[in-house]
Amino acid sequence: MTREKRWTIPIIVIVCLAGVLVLYRHSGADKPGRSFLKPAAVVRPERIVSLAPNLTEILFALGLGGKVVAVSNNCDYPAGAGEKAKVGTFWQPNTEAIIAAKPDLVVTLWFEQQKAVADTLGRIGLNVLTFRIEKIPELYAAIEKIGLAAGCEQRAKLLNGNIAGRLNALRGKFATEKKVRVMWVVQTEPLRLAGRDTFINQLIELTGGENAIAPTIQQYPPVGTEELLTCGAEVIIQSAMGTADTEQQQRAAEHFWSRFASLPAVKSKRVYVVAADCALRLGPRVPEGAETIARYLHPDLTE
Amino acid sequence: MTEFLTAKNLTVKIIICLAVLAAVMAGCALVGTQNISLRNVFAGPGAEAGANIDYDIFVRVRLPRVILAALVGAALAAAGVVLQAILRNPLADPYILGISSGAGLGVIIAVLSGVTWGFAAGSPIAVFAFAGALATVWLVWAIGYFAGGSRVTCLLLAGVVVNAFFSAVIMFLTSIAKSEQVFSTIFWLMGNITEKDMPVLLAGGISIVAGIAALFAVSHRLNVLSMGEQQAKDLGVAASRTRAVAFALAAFITAIAVSLSGLIGFVGLIIPHAVRLVFGPDHRQLLPVSAIIGAAFLVIADTIARTIVAPAQLPVGVITAIAGGPFFLLLLAKYSRKVGWLK
Repeated sequence: MTREKRWTIPIIVIVCLAGVLVLYRHSGADKPGRSFLKPAAVVRPERIVSLAPNLTEILFALGLGGKVVAVSNNCDYPAGAGEKAKVGTFWQPNTEAIIAAKPDLVVTLWFEQQKAVADTLGRIGLNVLTFRIEKIPELYAAIEKIGLAAGCEQRAKLLNGNIAGRLNALRGKFATEKKVRVMWVVQTEPLRLAGRDTFINQLIELTGGENAIAPTIQQYPPVGTEELLTCGAEVIIQSAMGTADTEQQQRAAEHFWSRFASLPAVKSKRVYVVAADCALRLGPRVPEGAETIARYLHPDLTE
Repeated sequence: MTEFLTAKNLTVKIIICLAVLAAVMAGCALVGTQNISLRNVFAGPGAEAGANIDYDIFVRVRLPRVILAALVGAALAAAGVVLQAILRNPLADPYILGISSGAGLGVIIAVLSGVTWGFAAGSPIAVFAFAGALATVWLVWAIGYFAGGSRVTCLLLAGVVVNAFFSAVIMFLTSIAKSEQVFSTIFWLMGNITEKDMPVLLAGGISIVAGIAALFAVSHRLNVLSMGEQQAKDLGVAASRTRAVAFALAAFITAIAVSLSGLIGFVGLIIPHAVRLVFGPDHRQLLPVSAIIGAAFLVIADTIARTIVAPAQLPVGVITAIAGGPFFLLLLAKYSRKVGWLK
């Protein structure tokens, strides 16, 4: 009894000290900030691994497709990407498989799961580039940075110029038109719409539209029927779920919206389902997505 | 069974269990999505980065992961034993008194505030999870103490209510978060074992092993405590003080485990019961054996999780429940008539 009493307190103290050590290590306070890319190490990478569909699309658009050795399971475009070796899903990349692909450059997105993998790879000494791409300007920056890292700055400039040119053309075309009220549906049950603080909203405004939903605290707000009926949406665009039959999803969407017959969009039968990868993936295909939306918004102005 | 538990007997059992754990860890470190050769591993890291891939995969990816799984499994199983004893409730698990929602809240706050994204070498998520877990447990303990003194029912109810309240806050924050942030949080909540830096593993390992050792030092009192308050008093054990110490230690090791790997379910609930069914309810034995078996179980579960759908991976919680559930039912059917706990 007494023997063990004597030891309990010191042991607890030791445990607490160890806990503080964990916190200290975890906070990263003992390590200097580190840039994942060592600029001098790789000028022209020969073996690139991409962990995100939009990064893969950027690599292929920059003509680096031949140098991509492995991609995530979710990378499905362009056709060549689907044939590459796979290194786990977008959400749970497989560190082991990435290392085994012997990459000299790994490109990842910034969110927690990919950042954890990027940290491990960085510790091993691999070159890792981590990107945060949520809005269109960040897309330009990412393309430029990949171009710089892979030694094809010219091509990156061209690609950025091409994207910006097509987007500006759209913007100019519809700048003086009356704004079309657009409701962008992310899912129907329960109903969630794209709010104003999204990339989708940028696309809508760029193509001469205006979000039918006022600013909300949520990025993708759930909306009640009352708000829905009074928002006056002239066009409803629904992003398709997965790559399943878009025709069928179109019919299902028309059926779903037919119960809100007083909405201008339903009255004039302007309910559209768009393929999610083209419209929502922030990559080199953004102009195509924007042009598709423009056709839905202004059928009379676009050929 | 318990009368015959001598020090020698116990030591032998623990050593055998440790040997099994070592064998399991070694075996699992050799399994993975890539085939690697041990000879290359022993050749060392090579002159420049990426020169010896087998070494990198084995030493920097698989070993840290296997060690992390063992640490987390041990911590959760040991904490489960302690909470089942002090709450005298067979449904108790390490998360029952608010750790899960507290840690979850910490994580979503870390994700939403976006602290040090982009250039941090450490993980702010782990720090927030640890702080959230400990703060919530302290809150539950304080509420339970002021509401009900030493009665465990109040503690349990306080835990349930705080869990529900924080879950609602998590839901609210999730509803206003961006989609990637939501996914980051959900995947974290599912629990995942990933590669960690060696210093992090070392610090986590020291804390968890020290915590389990300290619990082992009070394990004979848990025997008395699990009989009930009055019996404990009659036998001269200061019930509330023992309970406070054991609870604090269990919460501490659980918080570390959670901050390292998210919420991995099932281990802390099932392993203590399985060990109790097979080896008997004496806590001097139940605690160390559960910790070791819990470690081996999570190592195996994580190995399955990272290889079965290669190159993709599954959340380890899927495996612990799918593989562990039926196995536990088998044990239950076979042994439950022999032991007293479930009567």
